[in-house]
Amino acid sequence: MKQKIVNRILAVVLTIASLLVFAGTNMAAKKLFLVTTLPDLASIAKAVGGDHVKTFAIAKGYQDPHFVDPKPSYMIKLQKADMFIQVGLDLELGWVPSLLDGARNPNILPGAKGYVDASVNVPLLEVPVGDPTKLRAQGDIHVYGNPHFWLDPLRGKIIADNIYRALVRLQPENEADFSKNLQAFKAKIDQKTREWTERMRPYSGTKIVAFHNSWPYLEERFPFDIVMFIEPKPGIPPTPKQLVRVIKTMKQNDIRVIIIEPYYSKKSAELVAAKTGAVVVELAGSVGAQPGIDDYFDLFEYNINKLIDAFKQAGIQPRATED
Amino acid sequence: MHQKFLFLLVFIAGSIILAAPLQAQQARKDTTRAAKTDSTEALDEAELEKELARELGLLAGSETDTSVTPPQTSAPAISGSIARAGSVLNPRISVIGTFFGSGTGNQAVARAVDVGLSETEFSFQAYVDPYTKADFFVAFGREQEDPFAGPDEEAANLSEYEAELEEGYLTTLSLPFSLQIKAGKFLGAFGKLNSLHPHAFNFVDYPRMYVNYLGEEGLIDRGLSINWLVPNPFDLYQELTLEITSGALGGPAFQGNSKDLLYLLHLKNFFDLNDNTTLELGFTGMQGPNGLERYKTRMGAVDVTLRWKPLRMNRYKSFELMLEALASQYETAAGIISSKALFAFLRYQVARRWFLGARYDYSEFPDDSEHNEKAYSAILSFYTSEFQKMELQVQRGIPAWGDAFNRILLRVVFVIGAHGAHKY
Repeated sequence: MKQKIVNRILAVVLTIASLLVFAGTNMAAKKLFLVTTLPDLASIAKAVGGDHVKTFAIAKGYQDPHFVDPKPSYMIKLQKADMFIQVGLDLELGWVPSLLDGARNPNILPGAKGYVDASVNVPLLEVPVGDPTKLRAQGDIHVYGNPHFWLDPLRGKIIADNIYRALVRLQPENEADFSKNLQAFKAKIDQKTREWTERMRPYSGTKIVAFHNSWPYLEERFPFDIVMFIEPKPGIPPTPKQLVRVIKTMKQNDIRVIIIEPYYSKKSAELVAAKTGAVVVELAGSVGAQPGIDDYFDLFEYNINKLIDAFKQAGIQPRATED
Repeated sequence: MHQKFLFLLVFIAGSIILAAPLQAQQARKDTTRAAKTDSTEALDEAELEKELARELGLLAGSETDTSVTPPQTSAPAISGSIARAGSVLNPRISVIGTFFGSGTGNQAVARAVDVGLSETEFSFQAYVDPYTKADFFVAFGREQEDPFAGPDEEAANLSEYEAELEEGYLTTLSLPFSLQIKAGKFLGAFGKLNSLHPHAFNFVDYPRMYVNYLGEEGLIDRGLSINWLVPNPFDLYQELTLEITSGALGGPAFQGNSKDLLYLLHLKNFFDLNDNTTLELGFTGMQGPNGLERYKTRMGAVDVTLRWKPLRMNRYKSFELMLEALASQYETAAGIISSKALFAFLRYQVARRWFLGARYDYSEFPDDSEHNEKAYSAILSFYTSEFQKMELQVQRGIPAWGDAFNRILLRVVFVIGAHGAHKY
């Protein structure tokens, strides 16, 4: 009887072992599997990697990238990943570390070949100065600088460079393809950015109000002017007092447009709009934020269209361009 | 004859298990080699690596690739900003403080009102080397009055703080087959709640089930934890954990006896029902000495956690249902005592910073299934930011001995320093 049980256990062990061997040989798939935190990174990685890569983005484009739940199902994706790409600068601090811990994949840990911090070499805005232990009194401040840098297409080229280097590390045999894709991506970015800038030029310097401080890089590239935020401090929900201040400023400066991220309640922005007659525009913070924003280029196309529509709707007169 | 057959089977199984990583590695190598056409240099490297591994007596498969990669330099803007030079190599440090207040009616405890700092937890976390990560949690805490303890219980010492190593363990980073080993002192993989630190609970007090069976701080023990992500064709998250610990807990159901160890087996299943809803289903089996000579306690438990949180507006609305139940068999000279306990918890987010919760507790005792206690709680939580929360709990307690009582519990939990990642 006992023997029978032992034999049965052994049979199970054997089956599992052979399954593992099978799984092991299967691992040598040809396409690299890239897992990214945000869909924007996935889109750029897809552009550079081309047919050699498969991508998966953990956060959806309409999700708040600061607050993503580290669901165990994402660990399974990371466990199978050849490369992991994150924005960095502590943007994903609340959820990426526990995902990496649970994934048991040493090849994508910080410092390993398959790890990419997209912020490497990116010139940053709003890098705080002063005693870091006092920064949280200012709300959700990122100690290394504002992390929303993918919202500048030219900085997107630096992200592409970072991903390119990692792809070459993993698949040096495809260097020529990656290099060709990278150049094509950069050329398209340059050409498109010229177009977008041209379209925004008549509205350059237009004063607007934003809900949260996600837009300094977009603001710098297509120069409009964010005068103030509806949040009193980053991450702190709007107070009536702050709304009063916003309304006052908007009236004084004749500000007619409010921009907001898709993941915040529009209630307070609409309240302010009702008092000031301003237009509330929901911009896209990431690829996938709205249907039709399928890649990194769509993201800017969408935001530029939305902004120009809002400026027109608010009756802001385009200025004649000087040149 | 039979024995020989058995031996053969063991031998085959053993060699397959040993060979599997080797083969996997081989397969990977082969493709890289095929891909790196004409690159004889790379080919030699692979050969050399294998040769060296043989020389060193290492199994190629068990060695993880820790080869040096070009250093990834940080953005230039960082270096010029906040100077943290001195602390860069320090482990990630955070301090979590808990202010606690309680008011208990009906003379259920010696001191009706108790207010003050109840616990301060220091955590230190860092990678040791390419193979391991270390986590330490040191807590300075003090006793609290337990109105369920009954009239004979002596009064708690409310003023003295005692330091305790809550947890201290090493975790491996690079074992093959998705295995992970944890060694040291750690929270046991029992149920759902036990693996969380109390400040992460969404209520102020431990459920009675935990207090009466595992002890006032849940199941914490010294030993070894091995867990495995079970591979499956559906890409489901399934984690199997085996823990072998000293059993020297001093908890009500388990007590060390220097000869017997505590064994725990936990299976965690995680399902994404849709983008917004998840279900976690866990099963725990446990066996260990109960302190009566060499008698044992056996326990089975199940935990269910259902969560709903819309992805798009994930900071405004959410819902959570948590249920844990256990059945215990406690051996004594006079026979086996079978008992059970459970708690259920519901939480609904009413606004960006406000949550409402309700909890029901039912618990017998490991050595006494004739008596039981019950508790009904309502909880209101307010988050000032991600770094601070306030919780107010009102509770109707019906102890096994003594009169029913009402009490109010209040706590403020705050964190300074590196903000650790949340567990899901």
